[in-house]
Amino acid sequence: MSNGLLPSRQLIGVTRFHWQQLLGPIVVVIAVSYLTSGVSASFSYLTEGALALLVMVLSLQVFIGNSGVLSFGQAAFAMVGGFASGLLTAPVKIKENVLDGLWEPLKAVNMGIWPSLVIAVLVGALFAFVTGLLLMRLSGLAAGIATFALLMVADNVFFNWKLIGPGPQVMPQVPKFAFVDESIVLTVIVIIVVYFFGISRRGRLLRATREDALAARALGASVWHLRVLFFTVSGGIAALSGAMYAHHAGAVTARDFYLGFTFTTLAMLIIGGASSLWGAVVGTILVTAIGQVLLVLEGGVTFGSVEVTLPNGARGLVIAAALVVILIWRPKGVTGGKEFNLPFLNRKSAAAHDSHVQRTDANMNIKP
Amino acid sequence: MTQMLEAVSIVKSFGAIRVLEDVTVTVRKGEIVGLLGPNGAGKTTLLNIMAGYETQNSGTVSIDGGCIDSLPPEARTKAGLARTFQSGRLFPELSVTENVVLGAIGAGASIKVANRRALDALEMLGLTAVMMQPATGLSHGLSRLVGLARALTANPEYLIMDEPAAGLNNHETPALLAALESIQRESGCGMLLIEHNVGLVADACSRVFVLASGELLFEGPPEDALADEAVLSAYLGDATMGLPGGIA
Repeated sequence: MSNGLLPSRQLIGVTRFHWQQLLGPIVVVIAVSYLTSGVSASFSYLTEGALALLVMVLSLQVFIGNSGVLSFGQAAFAMVGGFASGLLTAPVKIKENVLDGLWEPLKAVNMGIWPSLVIAVLVGALFAFVTGLLLMRLSGLAAGIATFALLMVADNVFFNWKLIGPGPQVMPQVPKFAFVDESIVLTVIVIIVVYFFGISRRGRLLRATREDALAARALGASVWHLRVLFFTVSGGIAALSGAMYAHHAGAVTARDFYLGFTFTTLAMLIIGGASSLWGAVVGTILVTAIGQVLLVLEGGVTFGSVEVTLPNGARGLVIAAALVVILIWRPKGVTGGKEFNLPFLNRKSAAAHDSHVQRTDANMNIKP
Repeated sequence: MTQMLEAVSIVKSFGAIRVLEDVTVTVRKGEIVGLLGPNGAGKTTLLNIMAGYETQNSGTVSIDGGCIDSLPPEARTKAGLARTFQSGRLFPELSVTENVVLGAIGAGASIKVANRRALDALEMLGLTAVMMQPATGLSHGLSRLVGLARALTANPEYLIMDEPAAGLNNHETPALLAALESIQRESGCGMLLIEHNVGLVADACSRVFVLASGELLFEGPPEDALADEAVLSAYLGDATMGLPGGIA
């Protein structure tokens, strides 16, 4: 508390930058990533994949979480990003030998991972912008169906059109990230972007449209403009996720980003809590951890004299059941849709602030 | 050119039902105008047409001489026309303050300016005690006041209010009247007050329009409306009890 020393005109109860909400998820992501990747090479590989998924969940959060519009189509942008970055970085010889139907300019080009990531983000954002101009006129069920149709169209195009990729085959020899650090850095950048978009003027207006579009319009909020903007940002981030996934796996195929990918990432978002960045992080960590435990159990584990072996597919079943349970009993997710917050840090921060104010006032000879 | 919000010769039908018949309402800058009428008279439909939520069959709506018929609601807000809703229509997940700040942000203000305007509006309407509360738990009366504060932070040239006094108690209504007069004095904003509280309208407004069955029945000073037989028989009836000036 301020003990009456702070200026009397204070605006409280309003969204504003809070260091805990941003640094909390970043610290947790970095800590969990280094802890798990340090265990073994396979855990490092797993961590890289999980970070690519987290970036995808963050792309869903920035659009679905803020707008309230359910989109099944964001994986289409991940597909675009994965293919763009994969094609731009794969060796020319491989493309000439394996991808004989590929468009000639794409065959000839070869660049490093980092510039290809930038191009992937731009292409994904552009694709999202163009499709968003039409799709963002829809709401509710219509928006869900139309975005799902977008995913199906993208899958069919990438699965069949050999001018822009390997078609139904796998595109091999995509260069891999050298270290897990690269994925961590990219994820932290995305967390920062998503956070600042969330607390921005437009982010706050978009959340208002989520609550009551009619009232938001009376405040001057153009629902369509705001949705197109955030759909575009989400598309760019999804494309980065696809590119990260391609450079994690060292190969890319259209089916990497289809129904399983869409279901898993949406489940992560909803289980964690769609309306907060922290929910996206928690959901990804939880579902990944549970999924890995179940995967091990599917392979069979012996506890003393008891051998436990879950049937194949148990992992998907459990995640689907968790999703249903969350939707029924805790629709705001396990975080309740709240951002990262440790109350004792707030108290320390407030105490430090009061102490600073008292010191300042004492220096200026101001009496309480 | 007169600075004025005008809805001229408005005609509106829903199917075969004619809701508004050649209705003209004007609000000059700095003026508080009342719009009275019994339930079903077409008041809220007229408001929705002026704010861009309904399209009229004929007639025009203009601000300071410029036609705004083609503008959607959000563009009308940016053009200087704000509105409040009968039910408050606050964003329930957000705090009172956040709701009010959004009014300024939507109108294009920076976050710093929006915060300052929100604080001014909350103080003016005596809402600082509830500023931290989530909007979802407020009483109907308080919701309407917060909705008014939210509209004010857009710094509108004209403000249309849909029954702001409904649900307010005997202490809150005089406070609302004082706030309206304060807004008029400080911002010079023109206000159209759609209200059933005839006493409030009589105290606050310099002119009133009375609608009945979609037609304009009266335009003039509120004291003349309260003495007009056609108005009394069409709208006021027994509600004249308790009116200012001892009419009852």
